Formats: sequence, structure tokens, C-alpha cells
Amino acid sequence: MEIGVAGEMLPMRESLAREVEIAWGRLAQPGTWWTGAERLAIAGEARRAQDCGLCQRRKAALSPYIVEGEHDGAADLAPAVVEAVHRLVTDAGRITERWIQSLLTGGEMPALEETGYVEIVGVIAMITALDVLHQALGLPLRDLPAPAAGSPNRRRPEGAKRNLAWVSTLAPEDVGPDDPNPYPVHGDKNIHRGLSLVPQEVFNFFDLDVELYLQDHEIRDFAHEFRAISHAQIELIAGRTSALNGCYY
Amino acid sequence: MPHGQILIDLVEAVHGGGGAAMAAARRAVRESLGDDAFVDACATIASFSAVVKIADGAGIPLEDYKEKATRELRRELAINSFQS
Repeated sequence: MEIGVAGEMLPMRESLAREVEIAWGRLAQPGTWWTGAERLAIAGEARRAQDCGLCQRRKAALSPYIVEGEHDGAADLAPAVVEAVHRLVTDAGRITERWIQSLLTGGEMPALEETGYVEIVGVIAMITALDVLHQALGLPLRDLPAPAAGSPNRRRPEGAKRNLAWVSTLAPEDVGPDDPNPYPVHGDKNIHRGLSLVPQEVFNFFDLDVELYLQDHEIRDFAHEFRAISHAQIELIAGRTSALNGCYY
Repeated sequence: MPHGQILIDLVEAVHGGGGAAMAAARRAVRESLGDDAFVDACATIASFSAVVKIADGAGIPLEDYKEKATRELRRELAINSFQS
């Protein structure tokens, strides 16, 4: 299929175009811990965070943790949600375990549930992927969709434990019969486990990501090329993008 | 790396380049590698701009096999000094 960019038509793989549409729909659907309206409010806040004065002062500081102030955030989101969204968007590379724990235990602001925090991470990852794709292609940012009705099911996997990352994760051997299980589909590397406290978020993000990047089994299949750029070119882009984002995972 | 600098220029334009830099970087990739490659390059940039949010937001560690394979490189670059 083709997409229109500035009056020209560009080819886009059908599978990529399909997953982009699915991702937009999932942003607007009730999640596991947030409603569709709340998920879209989080996505909208992610866009506003780019222009937040406090975030810009923190970004410029030697440490973001020494700069006090209030975010230029939406009034309808809890302060801990705004703090989480803005930090994830503008300075994720300097997030610490202590900062996450401060959000989860409360103190200066009411506490955020760990499950809710992990779903926020998933939503931020989704809107980042979608918006950067548009930006790179030369498309204007897409309007956020209307929220879908419904309630989150608020199911926390019973087997989730805090033994791998700074948040609880669900190991493949601990997936229960009622838990969505993304591991057979997407693999169980640590990056997949990062969102696994909210298993549906693993599906939501990686269903899109395997079309943006590669399927897990394709990453080290150097005998075949799966994109119009080579493995080496993909990894060059990946490495430079990660470095610019301060990520060394 | 074939067309490596052109691809790097696109990444850097997306991450902080102005409108002119973006336009030039897009044009260079499309003219040198073609439109399919341009779209796949953009998709890769989108992927790795997003995955970092999961890695940093959840605080996941390197897998053992990556840790072993990159131990000397990380020591040389002092990457272990970073928090995540």
C-alpha cells in the first residue's frame, strides 16, 4: 500500500500499516489499569511534555533530581502521573530505581500503583513509536482518536515478582492460566519482560514493534534480509538512535 | 557500511534537526536507497526511540549473554557508570 507524504506517495508494507492502525485503536481502548480516556490523556500529556519548562530545566541540570518546580501539565491527571509521563518522555535515560519507588510509595504526591505505572510506560512507548514514525516520514502528528468506552479489568498477574527489574515482572514460568501470555509470540528477553506486570501491554507494544523493527527470530537471522535495508543498516540506525536517547540496554 | 552516513544523518535530523536538515536527510535517503528503504529506516528510528522508554522506565538489566559479549566494550566506553 502507499501513504501520502507532502503530496508524494510512499510505499508502506501492509503489515506495518495494519499494526499502526491497530496500535492507534489500542491506545484508545480501555487498558488493564486505565480507561481509554485516561490512556489518551497520558498520550496527550506525552506530547505536551516536550514543551514543559520544568522538564527543560531538569534536562539541562547536572541531575534532574535537584530541580524543584511544577510541570506544565494537564489538570485532569494526578501529579504522580504527570511526573511519570514527563520524565519518561523528556529524560528517561536518567530514571533511577529510587525515583520509581518514590512514585510508588508516595510522599510529596499521592502514590501511583505499580501496575498503573507500568501501563503508563507502555502507553508512552506506543505514542513515542507512532509519533516518531510520523515525524521521521514527514507527516504531521496524527490527532489522538476518540476514547472507546469500557472499564479496565484491573487484573494483576499473581506470579509477578520484583526480582529482575525496578518494577515487578512476570517470568515465563510464572504465567498463570488466566494471564495473557505474550512470550510464545514475542520472546522472553528482558525487554519483553519489562512491561509484563501488565501483559497486555507487551502485546500492545511489541505487535507494533516487530513491524517497525524485526520479529524476534529475524533479528539474528543474518542469512536473510527482511526489510529494504540490511541487518547492518538497521543496527546502525538502532545504535545511533539508542545513543541519542541515552539508552545503553 | 553502505550509505551509513546518510542513515546516521536521518537519525540525527529526526532527533533534533530542524526542518531543513530533516528535508535534506529524507531526500538523501530516498535518492540513495529508495522509498522502501526510507520507510524502513523511519520505522527503525521509531522503534528504538520507543524501546528506550521500556528499558529505562522498567529498569531492566542486560541479559547475561549480552553482558558477557559486551563486557570489554562496555569497560572501554565506561558505560557501566550509567544508571540504566
